[in-house]
Amino acid sequence: MKNFLPAILIAALCLPAGLAYSAEAAKKAPTLMNPPPTAQDWADIAKLPDWSGVWNPKITDQDAQVKTNPPPWNEVAKKKIEQMFAEEKAGRPRLIFHSCLPEAHPTWMLVTHNAMEILFTPGRVTMLGESDGNRLRRIYTDGRGHPDVSDPTLHGHSIGHWEGQTLVIDTVDILPQAPLAVSEAAGVSNNGDMRVVERIYLADKDIMHVELEIFAPKILTKSWKTTRIFFRQRARKFEITEGVCVLGDLAERVDADGDHVFVPVEKTIWGNIVSTPK
Amino acid sequence: MKQMLKSAGAILAVCGLAAGVSSVAAHHSTTMFDHAKTMTIKGEVVELRWVNPHVSLSVNGLVGDGTTPEVWLMEMTSPGNLMRAGGWRRDAVKPGEKVEVTFSPLRDVEKKGGALKRLLVVATGETFTASIRDQERPGIE
Repeated sequence: MKNFLPAILIAALCLPAGLAYSAEAAKKAPTLMNPPPTAQDWADIAKLPDWSGVWNPKITDQDAQVKTNPPPWNEVAKKKIEQMFAEEKAGRPRLIFHSCLPEAHPTWMLVTHNAMEILFTPGRVTMLGESDGNRLRRIYTDGRGHPDVSDPTLHGHSIGHWEGQTLVIDTVDILPQAPLAVSEAAGVSNNGDMRVVERIYLADKDIMHVELEIFAPKILTKSWKTTRIFFRQRARKFEITEGVCVLGDLAERVDADGDHVFVPVEKTIWGNIVSTPK
Repeated sequence: MKQMLKSAGAILAVCGLAAGVSSVAAHHSTTMFDHAKTMTIKGEVVELRWVNPHVSLSVNGLVGDGTTPEVWLMEMTSPGNLMRAGGWRRDAVKPGEKVEVTFSPLRDVEKKGGALKRLLVVATGETFTASIRDQERPGIE
């Protein structure tokens, strides 16, 4: 027994540490992100509202809201926005979405001029923009929370849940460079700590409302509530098209080898094309 | 000769970049065009570039009462929006087809650019418009 005593003492001393380690390990254990969906998972999707089809933004309402419901900009941001509006009016519009960057979240929802489609699969809702200027959002509806360690992206980390027929989304971890824009020529970097809460639902058979509350403490004096409208026209004969933004910088040509190639076009600092290569 | 052409192409591309050709493609505002003005060019299609985010159409023809042919470059919205708003297609017009284009010119008219308002294909009488807000008309097919 004497011989066992040291071992027992060591074990007794180590036990709390071992338990703590186990708890820590369990906490950090990787979660199964994409479990194989069950038949019930797919059946549950059939109970969700019909959001299929091509959704177009109501641009005339976007235009109107610039005047009727502007963001509560702080003093610094307001000055920048006023200057941008003045420059735009003078024919020198600021290129907010330069370098083919996505409009990012929530600006995609606010000012896009392109269509989108929305896909439901088990555990997530996916929004696909027509042009890669607005691109892609993944909204996790599998009950997960936001990550412990922030890994900011242009569209942030979105988790959602259904309240009846309304999808409620909470988005954090948006890159500080992502602009909060009210038009294609007026917007400022959010500068960090932005959070967006959305409630998306069908206001009518073919009308979708996206209610947003935007918390951007570095550029707004208080949260900004606004709604954007999307519509679909079931009778229309079109699909979403592939839209690769950088192709706008290139012309389709055939080189000396007979190969089909892309050749740069000439553009101004405002983004419009000046000339194309021969 | 082929090698020379390839080298020339490469040099041209590099020079182009140095001369201000920039990778700034993006959705952009259109106030560089003077929307209060309307001009017309009658001539032949040089090229329809069917690309995002802005389709472009170049036309070689006479502007207004002009007597010397000029190439003007028209810009529009994206292919998807043109299809929905104006019934466009990738082959709406082909190089060499006779057209009449109504447009708002760049404020700097020397740049010979415009925002296309309406395209008439002379041979068929078919017309195409390019306002993205036209998509909101109810009941359109």
